[in-house]
Amino acid sequence: MKRLPIAAITLLLLSCDHGLAPPPPSTFKPGFGGTVYFEKGTWPGPDSLVGLWIFASQEYPLDSVKVLQGLLSSPPKIFLYPSFTENLPFSVDSVSYSFLLPPSTYYYVGVIQQFAPELSTRSLRVVGMYGQSDVPPLPIPVVVTETDFVKGINIRVNFRKPPPQPF
Amino acid sequence: MKSFLHIALLVLWTATALGQTSSGTITGTVKDTETGQPVVGANITLRGSFIGAATDAKGKFQLLRVPVGGHSVIVSMLGYERLAIEGVIVARDQVRRLDVMIRSVPLQTEPVIITASRREQSLQEVPASVATLTARMIADRNNITIDEALRYVPGVNMLSDQVNIRGSTGYSRGVGSRVLVLLDGLPYTTGDTGEINWETIPMFEVERLEIVKGAGSALYGSSALGGVINVITREAPSIPELRFRAFSGLYDKPQYPEWDWSPKPRFTSGLLASYSGKSGSVSYLVSAGRTVDESYRENDAYHRWTLFTKLKVEISNSQSLTVSGNYVYRSHGNFFWWKDLTNATRPADGQRDGLVTSRRGNLSLAYKEFLSDKFFYTIKGIYFGNFWRDDSLGRVNNVSASHLFNLDVQATYFVNDIHVLTFGVAGNFDKVNANLFGSHPGVGAAAYAQDEIAVTGDVKLTAGLRFDWQKVSVLKATAQVNPKLGLVYLHDKETSLRMSFGSGFRYPAIGEIYIESSTNVSQVAVLPNPDLKSETSVSYEIGINRSVGNAMSVDLALFSSDFENLIEPSVQIKSYHPYPGSLVEVTGPVIQFENVTKARIQGLEAVIRVEWWKKFFSTDVGYTYTWSRDLADNTVLKFRPRHIVYTAGAFSWDEFRVSADFRYLSRIERIDENLVRLAPIVDGEQRVAIKLVDINTSYDLIGLGLPIRAGFSIKNLLNYSYVELLGNLGPVRTYFLSLEGIF
Repeated sequence: MKRLPIAAITLLLLSCDHGLAPPPPSTFKPGFGGTVYFEKGTWPGPDSLVGLWIFASQEYPLDSVKVLQGLLSSPPKIFLYPSFTENLPFSVDSVSYSFLLPPSTYYYVGVIQQFAPELSTRSLRVVGMYGQSDVPPLPIPVVVTETDFVKGINIRVNFRKPPPQPF
Repeated sequence: MKSFLHIALLVLWTATALGQTSSGTITGTVKDTETGQPVVGANITLRGSFIGAATDAKGKFQLLRVPVGGHSVIVSMLGYERLAIEGVIVARDQVRRLDVMIRSVPLQTEPVIITASRREQSLQEVPASVATLTARMIADRNNITIDEALRYVPGVNMLSDQVNIRGSTGYSRGVGSRVLVLLDGLPYTTGDTGEINWETIPMFEVERLEIVKGAGSALYGSSALGGVINVITREAPSIPELRFRAFSGLYDKPQYPEWDWSPKPRFTSGLLASYSGKSGSVSYLVSAGRTVDESYRENDAYHRWTLFTKLKVEISNSQSLTVSGNYVYRSHGNFFWWKDLTNATRPADGQRDGLVTSRRGNLSLAYKEFLSDKFFYTIKGIYFGNFWRDDSLGRVNNVSASHLFNLDVQATYFVNDIHVLTFGVAGNFDKVNANLFGSHPGVGAAAYAQDEIAVTGDVKLTAGLRFDWQKVSVLKATAQVNPKLGLVYLHDKETSLRMSFGSGFRYPAIGEIYIESSTNVSQVAVLPNPDLKSETSVSYEIGINRSVGNAMSVDLALFSSDFENLIEPSVQIKSYHPYPGSLVEVTGPVIQFENVTKARIQGLEAVIRVEWWKKFFSTDVGYTYTWSRDLADNTVLKFRPRHIVYTAGAFSWDEFRVSADFRYLSRIERIDENLVRLAPIVDGEQRVAIKLVDINTSYDLIGLGLPIRAGFSIKNLLNYSYVELLGNLGPVRTYFLSLEGIF
């Protein structure tokens, strides 16, 4: 019985940490970054430009069903930049990015466009990719490790000459 | 208006006239058996009538207008044995003397519970785990809302505003509740989303809360899967009184400078006042309040106005009519989740300008009549209206109006010394009109019955059954049958064993069935699901309650609940028509409420209370272990902490009181990853165990001749940083000052 107050005090002492804390500013986060260049004069009209993201996929090749499944799987196999609800800026010549991701090999990295209001298998297409300019062009895998932030992952987008579909 | 006045006057006149029939008076004293000292505040009532009084500072009481004849006089008082004195005969114009001695009893028999069986029972008669919170306990902790007060009840935890009893609810994104909340015995969930709206409960006028753990649909119908919380408002006193409570709180700086977003201190304050009394056979209570909270987070401030009134007419010694109603207006910033952990007190970018305004109110009527001292019935009805809209950057996003009516007719019959029958019928009508949910009606009906059987002097069996029928809009009607069975064995005066079995169900809210938005959540379509079925539960419990002398009580319980067809939002790739009437079908990700899983929650609970040093010091410890499994994929259920520990210590010396609370909830093991990803909630997966310490002190100025109580509290003394819900930093250290007075 006399131990009860001691137990209570012990519990109190256990609570002397401060719980959640903001991440330290210097914390390293793995990922990759670079610049997306948009071919001038190829931007589509606003009716067919609903969403625009950089994507990083752990599998290749893809089709639109795999894209949706990869986004929703747990853990996800496909990641979007800036985020599911935010887009890359429209009607610009270029945009720099820093895409923070879990360490993995991303076999397919590129830019994906949503051209219809509903996010569906019929409303997505790849409009640019990080890859070799062979015919047909092939993606170059990007390897992200615990200790690496990969720079120089530049992607060219020409809305009028997208890579071969399905992607 | 004129007609209303005429009716009111007629009722008053009738009540007064009825009170003047041939009668006598009972007068006397109530004293403690052991000490011989007067017992102050003991309640003396006549069984089967509304005649009653409380003892004064000298232990004296007086019952006026007692009908001529023989009566049973009930004497009750917290901490004392309830006493029934049979055969008290009163002659015309006689002043009958009655001096009573009552004996103090161990702690666990103190509360009188009405929720477990829809009638008054002592706690030892109840075959389920029950906790109570009194107005005094709530005021001592400076709690401003009911949900805040519930955070101190063993086995109960809150996830933002969603209440869990032993892990029942988890987090269902603000829609639906697996715990039923009653206001004075009537269901109190909103018509559109089926959620609990805590702010509309008149906190200042609450007499007590009763929390019955385990499935309770056999008496109360939908939503009572995990338990029932009954909020009981107070009765007006016989002597007019003006009460007020004023409080002011200051939020301390957050633990880290990154979170210190406001250049000025943030305050919360409120003033609540009520006037109540009794005139003849009419008692009245009017209460109003204003609360402002600047919040410790950006765009999270609110302003709230509240109005509550309760009028009770004792039409005769055996009939009463109570009318009550409230109205709440609130304007609240729309903080859904943080920007990220570095900016934990700032909302995500899209929520910086959101504002929700709501107008909510209810009106209820309750008629009660004793047909004899063995039979009484009640007729209760409530209307609950909810109107809210959320705006962002001056644009209206969502609007909802819902109207919900509930009616309940109940009778209780004390058949003989062995059987007590409780039975009744209930009905509800619901009407929703909202851009997210459409326009839909709902209707339901139910019948229930329960028999409490005193098998022997030591064993009591309770058996009950309820049939529920529900129909929403054009969907096919569904029906539910929910049984209950309970057994209490009083081994001796200090030990009782209990066992119970009960089932529960929750019919999906109109919002869950009909929510529809083509691109409302992260461009993912949200679709209705007319095939949604009721979720169900079956609960078992075995428990023991033992007191050791007058200073210690221990309650242990083992519990197990199985849930079927749990309704949760799921994300799947499906083919659908992007808007009503569309001929085009697309295939893409959709969010829908679905019956997704079955689950099992098992665990144990221990509640120990000890009073030390002649009751100057008390300690309470509550521990709940919850082992919850999703049986579909054999994983831990989302949003359930495994360990909950609540401890409290209180020291009282004359007018001075100091208390401390410590609450520990283990880190939630599993969260909704889709919510984090699709919302998206940046750093939404960040969470820790919750460890909170509160200190409360109060000083009663009655010794100085002032009927005022001053209080000071520090909540979250250690300024611990935590989240209850994803991306929602809990309140920082807050200093509270309060003044409470009765004139």
